[in-house]
Amino acid sequence: MTVSKKKLRGWAKGYLFILPSIIGFSVFVAYPLLSSIYYALTEWSGYDKPRFVGFDNFKYMFTEDPAFWPSVRATLYFVIMSVPLSLILGLLLAMLLNKSLPGIKWFRTIYYLPTVVPSIATLTLWLFIYQPQYGLANSLLRLLGLPEGTWLTSETTALPSIVLIGLWQVGSGVIIFLSGLQSVPQELYEAAEVDGAVRWRMALHITIPMITPILFLQLILGIIGAFQAFNQVQVLTGGGPNFSTSLLNFKIYNDAFNGRMFGYSIAEVWVLFVIIMIFTALTYRYSNRFVYYESDNSK
Amino acid sequence: MVMQTEVRTTTRKPRRKFSILDTIRFIILTIGAIAMLFPLLWMVTIALKGNNDVFKIPPEWFPRELHWSNFVTGTREINFWQTFGNSMFIAVVCTIGQIASSVLVGYGLARLSFPGRKLWFSLFVGSLMLPGFVGMIPLFNLYTSLGWYDSWLPIIVPAFFGNATFSFLYVQYLKTISVSFDEAAKIDGASDFYILMKVLVPMTTPVIMTMVIFSFQGAWNQYLEPLIYIIDPSKWTLSLAMASYKGTYATAWNLFMAADLIYILPMLLIFFFGQKFFMQGLGSVNSASLK
Repeated sequence: MTVSKKKLRGWAKGYLFILPSIIGFSVFVAYPLLSSIYYALTEWSGYDKPRFVGFDNFKYMFTEDPAFWPSVRATLYFVIMSVPLSLILGLLLAMLLNKSLPGIKWFRTIYYLPTVVPSIATLTLWLFIYQPQYGLANSLLRLLGLPEGTWLTSETTALPSIVLIGLWQVGSGVIIFLSGLQSVPQELYEAAEVDGAVRWRMALHITIPMITPILFLQLILGIIGAFQAFNQVQVLTGGGPNFSTSLLNFKIYNDAFNGRMFGYSIAEVWVLFVIIMIFTALTYRYSNRFVYYESDNSK
Repeated sequence: MVMQTEVRTTTRKPRRKFSILDTIRFIILTIGAIAMLFPLLWMVTIALKGNNDVFKIPPEWFPRELHWSNFVTGTREINFWQTFGNSMFIAVVCTIGQIASSVLVGYGLARLSFPGRKLWFSLFVGSLMLPGFVGMIPLFNLYTSLGWYDSWLPIIVPAFFGNATFSFLYVQYLKTISVSFDEAAKIDGASDFYILMKVLVPMTTPVIMTMVIFSFQGAWNQYLEPLIYIIDPSKWTLSLAMASYKGTYATAWNLFMAADLIYILPMLLIFFFGQKFFMQGLGSVNSASLK
């Protein structure tokens, strides 16, 4: 089969346009991904040449590293706490913000505002908020006559305190759900109203099913994102107290750039990667059946 | 599904002015809004307080006198403005790179036909699901061997090689624009690049604005990459500077908060002037990815 010269030129043109992403994908995605399979099996400080050690890194990780299992525990705890909470809060707020009300535009703006604050500005602000003596959190509790909180200083409250900061920035989720809610066809509600359905039943049987695709997508992205949390730990706690906030991504960074164990941290990257894949696959498997896709939407 | 799901106010039916349910809704929303605003307002009051007023128990919720000079003193001590300039430069260059490359790639994927188009498209989109830190260490090694360590290059250069989210968004947006516009221009002898720049880009300014805003925000906020690559404090970005100076300022909260507020300011300005694009953007990211 011969391809005409004109056609070939057309193909070349196509590749020319997408060339940036082909290079980007090869260099910044494929190369590191593939090479890290090998690096995970080496001992490597980053200064010297990687030395092949088989599965020693994994053996050390699972049996000896005192920080590994606490980090896994902290990471899972963080994901299981933060992802559902922000989904539910985001959805509830979106439903409250959906229908008209005096000042509704202001409300939407205010709820979105915290997400505009850069991550590091947010975290440093909350570091001061959580400061035990002069911080906002304890000042407020004292004002209300409540006992002071331990916030970032205790093993039991440090991680929930970090989750709370995430909830303060629930706004982008709210807007995403809001745009989903507004794309639910009005006829459905009108039809339900004719049938005499009450509001909460409409929410349960129309609104929620219609936005399940968005809910599902946000759930998956939320899980992937939460597993990669890093800034919070680096800025707020440094992993403590007693590894209670030592999220895996932070441990990976720390082992690589402070411990100079490149090979070992790449092995940890792969473990985290596998955990994320398992979580995503399970979520996919168990929640996809609840997802409602409009049949005429499959273009 | 409509691409730009604009956040509009739904009016379902002409209803009584204000039902009990609406009142409850209003009250809950007000309480929530106060909770959202409170940390930021607290930040502003601290930034305006005198040195010793910060550490008073019980705290003064409103500063007795306003110390506007904190914004000057707070930014003088940490080389703030140079760092601010660094961040601004990096964010602008990254934004230009990401938008330019993503628009080109988006056009290629949406409008040109060539073998392997679908494969590349799914590879690019699939890479979005890949956690970012997977490549961190091999890339660190790569950049170091290129001599890019302690420079901005590891942050800036990748921006010019396409951003999967933005390309994807642009592809989805282009699909909503009829090819008859391209064909008309083609009959007139226009090249693909000309069609893209003169016909399609002007028609897609809303989505490009959205991309610009999110690209700038991403670059302005990024922390991990600067943390790994930039050592010399004169090359630091604001995110690095603010994170490291939080210790230096342990005794001068007012100065820290004042500096932190200026760090937030560009994002606030963009938000207030480009609010429409933020809202549209989140909506369209949403509906585009569900197609």
